[in-house]
Amino acid sequence: MVVIMQEQQEAVEFHDLPEGCIENVLSFTTPRDVARLSLVSSTFRSAAQSDSVWDKFLPSDYRSIISQCDEEIDNSLYVLSKKDLYVNLTQKPILIDDGKKSFQLDKVDGKKCYMLSARSLFIVWGDTPRYWKWISVPDSRFSQVAELVSVCWFEIRGWINTSMLSPNTLYGVYLVFKASTSRTYGFEYQPCEASILIAGGGGDPVVERNVFLDAERGRRLRYQIVPRRRTGIFSRYLEPPPPPQVEQTESVDDLQKYPKERTDGWLEMELGEYFNEGGDDKEVEISVCEVKGGGWKGGLVLQGIEIRPKPKSC
Amino acid sequence: MAQEASSSTSSKTISLKTGDGEIFEIEASAAKQMKTVQRLIDDLGDDITIPLHNVFSKELPKIIEYYKKDITGEITKDFEAEFVKDLNDDEVKVLFLAANYLDANKLFEFLSQNIADRLESKSVEYVRKYFGVENDFTPEEESKLREERAWSFRGIKEDE
Repeated sequence: MVVIMQEQQEAVEFHDLPEGCIENVLSFTTPRDVARLSLVSSTFRSAAQSDSVWDKFLPSDYRSIISQCDEEIDNSLYVLSKKDLYVNLTQKPILIDDGKKSFQLDKVDGKKCYMLSARSLFIVWGDTPRYWKWISVPDSRFSQVAELVSVCWFEIRGWINTSMLSPNTLYGVYLVFKASTSRTYGFEYQPCEASILIAGGGGDPVVERNVFLDAERGRRLRYQIVPRRRTGIFSRYLEPPPPPQVEQTESVDDLQKYPKERTDGWLEMELGEYFNEGGDDKEVEISVCEVKGGGWKGGLVLQGIEIRPKPKSC
Repeated sequence: MAQEASSSTSSKTISLKTGDGEIFEIEASAAKQMKTVQRLIDDLGDDITIPLHNVFSKELPKIIEYYKKDITGEITKDFEAEFVKDLNDDEVKVLFLAANYLDANKLFEFLSQNIADRLESKSVEYVRKYFGVENDFTPEEESKLREERAWSFRGIKEDE
């Protein structure tokens, strides 16, 4: 056997690096790094498109999730490259589970996001048209949304299994709704109780907080958080003092208790958060209720409950 | 045909010869983890000194060290952290290429992750220098790509 001695050479230059090696390194970075590093060279750009890279960014169970949607959509997604599929799923939610839920990927790191449609929630008196009506609106992703006509007993519950969520992720839970054409009432002064707990766990709720489902009040509060001038009787200002403000004791932290505007034109109220470790099979129960005040409430349109990762900077 | 007798009478250790002519011993079970080596053993037999033209005496011992730990099931996060701790970027690159050549999957995956960590949030120019790669885009192509991917540059310190 002849052993051929190669000339002692410097370690193989990296531009001899096979594209497969570059793909492998890229697959351990993030979608964002891959997009950026496609600028390094044409080989990197090519590696950045490869299925093997994007396959790693898609959730491991994406195939079974997509197969739960409409066959036509499933087929159209099936032919896409993994990269295009990933991008597609970050930009637009797909309906799964017979239209009862929507599914999407978070743009930054591909984590799973869901919205539970109003139809899939447990809404007390939801089947009685005098209290709740089911309507279709063009700007909802679901075929039906629930319009609250009027109730005393306001109770909404939803569930999601932790096995559906991405592991090692802090999720925020949001009620997605808006004011109906008739005025929202009954929510301005009486807070609702929001809670997140593990169903059947018997333990304490993970999160419990009071929230006001009144966007108007939240907007007013936001505009009030400005540096205040002294307006005591020794004020030297010539203008009259600002009108008395309703929530003088509230602060910026309390903004958390009010709805925020979403980019899709709806409002969302953060009900709580849940850190999903992963690897288990628990039912997370989400609820928002107002059953103690006894007052009548109405004028909301409910799209659903969204569960999505909270940005890391929060 | 000259045959190098392996030091033990059983075929438990394999002799590997680097591109710069040095010989190292490795257990057969560890050699099995490196598919290129195993293929050579299958072709040439396990009594022969296996030639590895593209791996050199600087890096092979480190690779052997990794797989020695692997066959005893002792690879932990701590071990891996320690393994790369004192390696500079060039040394990691050399090991990475060697692992690729040897088709040593576990080490290859581990080093891919390590290099990815070293490149996290680094600029495009930094990555070019690291891999020794030339920018082969035209200025027009490059600016078009940058525009399309503007969102991915937010928060990155571009050191040009």
